[in-house]
Amino acid sequence: MTAPAESSAADVSPKPAQRPRRSMKTARSVLMADKVADWTIRIGGLGVIAAVFGIMMFLGLVVVPLFTGASVEGSAMSDKAVAGGHPLMDIVDEYKTLSVSIDEAGAVHAFHIKTGTPLEIPPYDLGGKTLTAFARTLNGRDIAYGFSDGSLRLATVKVAGVVINTTDVPAGLKQLTPEDFTDGKAVYTAVSADQTRRISVDLELGEVDQVAPEGTAIIAADYRLGGSAERPTVSFVTVDAAGVGRLSRSESKTNMMTGATTTSLTSSELPGLPKGVVVRNVLMTDRADQVFVIDAGGIVYRYDTREFEAPVLAETTDLLPGDVTVGAVSFLIGQQSLVVAGSDGSVNVFFRLQKAEAKTADGYMLTKAHTLEPHTGAVVAMDASQRGKMFVTAAADGEIWLRHPTSEQVVLKLKPAEGKPAYRAVALAPRENGILAVSDEGKVYAWDISAQHPETTLTTIFGKVWYEGYPEPGYTWQSSASTEAFEPKFSLVPLIFGTLKATFYSLLFAIPIALGAAIYTSEFVHHRVRAVVKPTMELMASLPSVVLGFIAALILAPIIETWIAAVFFAFIVIPAGLFFSAYLWQLLPGPIALRYGDLPKFLLIFAALGLFGYLAVLGAPAFEAVFFAGDLHAWANGAIGSSVPFTAMIAFPFVFLALYLSAEETVTRYLGFILRGPDRTRAGFTDLARWVATLVIAAALSYALAMVLVGLGLDPRGGVVSTYVQRNTLVVGFAMGFAVIPIIYTISEDALNTVPEHLRAASLACGATPWQTATNVIVPTAMSGIFSAIMVGMGRAVGETMIVVMAAGNTPVMEWNVFNGLRALSANIAVELSEAVRDSTLFRMLFLAALTLFVITFIVNTLAEMVRQRFRKRTAQL
Amino acid sequence: MMSAMTETVAAPADTVPMSQSAGRRTDLRSRGEPALWSLGGALAIGVVMILGFLVLVFSNGVATFIPKPLTVVTAIDGTVTAGEPFRSELYKPTPEEIATLTPDWQERIKAENGYASRTLYRMGNFDIYGEDFRWVPDFAVAKFEQPKNLLFFERMEWGAFVGTVKSFKIDGVDQAFAGLGDPKFTKVHADSRERAEAIRNIERGDIGAINHALDVERLALRKIELSAGRNSAEFKAAQDRLNSVSGDLQKRYDALTAEVQKLRAANAGNTLTLAEIGGREKTIEFSYLVRAYAANDMNLAQTLGVYFSRWWEFLSAEPREANTEGGVFPAIFGTAAMTLLMVIVVAPFGVLTALYLREYAKQGRLVSFVRISVNNLAGVPSIVYGVFGLGFFAYMLGGSIDSLFYPERLPNPTFGTGGLLWAALTLALLTVPVVIVATEEALAAVPRSTREGSLACGASKWQTIRYIVLPRAMPGVMTGVILAMARGAGEVAPLMLVGVVKLAPQLPVDGIFPFVHLERSFMHLGFHIFDVGFQSRNAEAGKPMVFVTTVLLIALVTLVNATAIIVRSRLKKRFAGSQF
Repeated sequence: MTAPAESSAADVSPKPAQRPRRSMKTARSVLMADKVADWTIRIGGLGVIAAVFGIMMFLGLVVVPLFTGASVEGSAMSDKAVAGGHPLMDIVDEYKTLSVSIDEAGAVHAFHIKTGTPLEIPPYDLGGKTLTAFARTLNGRDIAYGFSDGSLRLATVKVAGVVINTTDVPAGLKQLTPEDFTDGKAVYTAVSADQTRRISVDLELGEVDQVAPEGTAIIAADYRLGGSAERPTVSFVTVDAAGVGRLSRSESKTNMMTGATTTSLTSSELPGLPKGVVVRNVLMTDRADQVFVIDAGGIVYRYDTREFEAPVLAETTDLLPGDVTVGAVSFLIGQQSLVVAGSDGSVNVFFRLQKAEAKTADGYMLTKAHTLEPHTGAVVAMDASQRGKMFVTAAADGEIWLRHPTSEQVVLKLKPAEGKPAYRAVALAPRENGILAVSDEGKVYAWDISAQHPETTLTTIFGKVWYEGYPEPGYTWQSSASTEAFEPKFSLVPLIFGTLKATFYSLLFAIPIALGAAIYTSEFVHHRVRAVVKPTMELMASLPSVVLGFIAALILAPIIETWIAAVFFAFIVIPAGLFFSAYLWQLLPGPIALRYGDLPKFLLIFAALGLFGYLAVLGAPAFEAVFFAGDLHAWANGAIGSSVPFTAMIAFPFVFLALYLSAEETVTRYLGFILRGPDRTRAGFTDLARWVATLVIAAALSYALAMVLVGLGLDPRGGVVSTYVQRNTLVVGFAMGFAVIPIIYTISEDALNTVPEHLRAASLACGATPWQTATNVIVPTAMSGIFSAIMVGMGRAVGETMIVVMAAGNTPVMEWNVFNGLRALSANIAVELSEAVRDSTLFRMLFLAALTLFVITFIVNTLAEMVRQRFRKRTAQL
Repeated sequence: MMSAMTETVAAPADTVPMSQSAGRRTDLRSRGEPALWSLGGALAIGVVMILGFLVLVFSNGVATFIPKPLTVVTAIDGTVTAGEPFRSELYKPTPEEIATLTPDWQERIKAENGYASRTLYRMGNFDIYGEDFRWVPDFAVAKFEQPKNLLFFERMEWGAFVGTVKSFKIDGVDQAFAGLGDPKFTKVHADSRERAEAIRNIERGDIGAINHALDVERLALRKIELSAGRNSAEFKAAQDRLNSVSGDLQKRYDALTAEVQKLRAANAGNTLTLAEIGGREKTIEFSYLVRAYAANDMNLAQTLGVYFSRWWEFLSAEPREANTEGGVFPAIFGTAAMTLLMVIVVAPFGVLTALYLREYAKQGRLVSFVRISVNNLAGVPSIVYGVFGLGFFAYMLGGSIDSLFYPERLPNPTFGTGGLLWAALTLALLTVPVVIVATEEALAAVPRSTREGSLACGASKWQTIRYIVLPRAMPGVMTGVILAMARGAGEVAPLMLVGVVKLAPQLPVDGIFPFVHLERSFMHLGFHIFDVGFQSRNAEAGKPMVFVTTVLLIALVTLVNATAIIVRSRLKKRFAGSQF
């Protein structure tokens, strides 16, 4: 600083040449520092900005996979045909190493998928019987053979993978692929340097059960295993060539003393099957309480088999139109959905639902829930996933489609590179990461696929979805449950609704208080009062929201539950009381009113608040008796009382306002001379009388209006008020008020304060009262600032997390009931994200929830910011 | 200013003599008095809300540690309840309950509109009763007593005990009990506690260090296995080293365990047999006794002593009993460490960005768009930052760090999960808009003339910023940073996702190299409130603790905020008058 000053002094001096010239060059260190600073600041600044914008990008990137379908990661076609041909079933092991198929004669073949190399496995000894029926469980582990002589035999196909030490691997293996080796019986896969997985097929064949009369072939069968480990039971259902359906159960008992096992078989006949029916399939549920017999034309005979000895034909219905025949039929995991695919390529999903209009014996009926995109050719094979709701269908035209029923989308469409194979069996790998199909001549087609999030589409997230067990499509959020067959339900709509509900009710409470307080602080109190009041209100903003949530949920909620009538009554008594006090204040002579118009009046308002608050508590029982039949909780349930008084209460403010404004131009005009008159006391009394009269008339009118409305069937119960829950929206609204009020208050108070002083002065100088100045000049000028304050407050309410987590009960219901809780987007994230598995659908859904919140608040805040900028410009012009 | 104007304008209108213009007075309606009162009412409600809230929190929080008298309530049906009266409330007894009462009480309840009052007693003795609290309705009470010999014991386990001393033993020898002030009693208590503390130090410190050393060797071995394979010479060497080291460590471990056993044995002889009000007995070691006092027989000094020793325990000790008792020191430490780390990150980056926006970037559409966006980011919900922090910092960055630098620990994550560093970075992102906005405003407030003066004197741009602009903008910068701290300290929702836990086994700073463990999860005061209030066995038992923690948190946040205000005014004063 001093050096340049000296040199400038030197410039002024008349003999500049006399002194030794200082170097005018800037020191290199200064230049360097400048350069370094320049770059650091630029890079740092831009980096921070980029980082901040990267947040949105990152959230988006995590979310995107939800909407991208599945992808094919590789495919293979084996030119070697599987021995036997005409496969009945084909299964794939968990690691997609082996495939096991069963041919028409009942022989089991296993082969290595990538190379088609057949493996040697011990054959079943079927005793030379002719196979006429075949049944399997979803995972293909348990199978049943029905024979032409009327007997049935159970079997298991176990594809077992065990990890062994590499040192234990036998020598002399034949190499199949770089990782896979075989000794002809099992496949060895190198997992790591010292570990190898051995995958082999173990077969077991059960005893022969003579189910049908000797010599009558079994044409269809299904079975389920049940009972306990000590007393295993096998339930099976068979249809024989004579068209007789049988329900059988074999029960094994092990004698504790001797260790001998005795097996008993009981059977009962399924009634009502028409003569000559061509049965295509029989299906049985896991608990053996429902049996479906499906004929070739798609007619389903549904039996209620809870009474094992006396099965009841519950329902007969045709699931396929006209002469369309059944292509494939299967349960999905959980046995709640029945998929029926027809020869016309149609694929439909049916639910068994309890319906009032059902004319069936048990009150349930099969209802078509999902119509999926049809194939162009007849559906010939189908396989359902063992871990999710997905299934694959293979059609005669060579297409294989991977479908998800709930989202109704075709996740993946596959077609071999050449040819139009006639598929006989198709299999979805247990981990849903591969599809394998076997054609009639035994050719194998295999695809490696990746289908991470088949259940989510934009429609399932934001639209109505029909889930299993639900009577109709709806919006549901239910991300986890206890059973394996459960399907997570990801609809963001209830959460967005919850957020909006919390925001709406909290703003309903916060806006009047914040704006009223801001206008009063800015226009009607002394600046010294303001200097105390404003920081006090702002102190509210610094309260951590976890504290607010704790107080709201554990202290406030029980109090409000007990004193709910008093709380409601306070909403009436306090405004009415303040008005009443104001009319009394008007009775004061002018000079006195003026002298005490500032702080004393404000203190008086406090006193009035306390007094009328106390009155509200005192009068609550009487109020509850009149309006809520003596018990608000029971009343809200709809158990007792009438809705008329409450409806009148809601209608009252509107009726009062309408009446007041209409009277302003008519009746009050004639009172004007008194109100303006010299006798202030008289004017005051007239005004008070006018108010009381309006109140009484408005009360009568609103009661009449309520009678009409309730008569017309407009009942607030079941709508905005219904069953009372302790942690409810009322509590949330109040607690959120603490978070939102200071924000709206501070910003709008600042806006009101920045209205130029000369506008205020001019208005007052023209003879306007402070009230007129405030309402006609100040508030309209500051309107955009006030609007932006409300928007910022709204942004805070939308994103507030801890208060809703703690005080809102977190039930994802969609109703406007003030007495019920809600589940907001933010709370949902806080509660569920720490439990979500990385990159699972839930994880990405929660990121989507975060992105949604981000977008909502960004829009709201940008709007506020734009309005505020406009406001700044406008005030600058004034 | 407003009201002054009102007076000058309105006063003449009201005070002019009647004769002048009788009919030209202000219409009462134009005063808007009723509307005005409702506006005033709104302000009053706001003030009452905040003050009521503070009074509620502080009165509960400050009173929590006051030792309360123990009351023995004998009910009409003969049940005896001894405990601290916890709180009273009005409730509606069921008709069946009312039917069993005397007509006198029935009348009284009827007069109260069906409400009766009841009191909640904190009975303690959870190990004997299976419950901590009991409601006693006023109408059920036969008599109250406050016996002087009834004592209140705080224990390390099972919560409080209310009862009397039956007997006590020193080194297995029975002693006569002569009051809590008995020097023999206090000495054995102090000795036992000291030994318990020594045991704890050995277990947590020395044995912890041994385990750590063993862990380091194991991980080194695993690292070699991953890089060189199992059959390499290095692996064999490392295995030998591990064996020899673990042998040494085992010896040290055995010595320490023997020492612990000795201390334990010494403590086992010092026991105290307590009897609850019904006579059932419970024997505990002295080392499990935290504090004992005669609640009904204390002078003011003793009361204060108990009160302050409880506060000291709260501030300095670790939590016990699922966080519902003991102290919150790890939470205070965690909050402070996280906030400091956050400031270290947020301050330079915030200032850098503001400098760029205000001093370097060309003021145009783009910059004003960026400015609006930065402003808006302050309003983005904190939970969104938490989600980002988890996904980006913990899983993506942390995951990469793990696979690069800590492959030997996988699949256990080191940085690949929530931790102190990620929490601080997340909060830094959350609060960086606050610092940017505050700094920008402060930079904008530095007069142009100052800057131009400096440049005209030949100073470079950086010199101008460094010596002229930044010092003058410092108050604003400091305010921004401190406000960011206040916001960060009070925030909970994002932390729940990126590293806060209900009970951290170790502090993030300790004596084991590298001393500051940024990957460790930590405790936080705000989360402590959430956890104790919502996830403990008994919300009622945790409530007092939550209130105290709340007081502490609010005090902390307010303190930080107040510091901001003071710093601002101080620095402003310093630079006042230095303007052109």
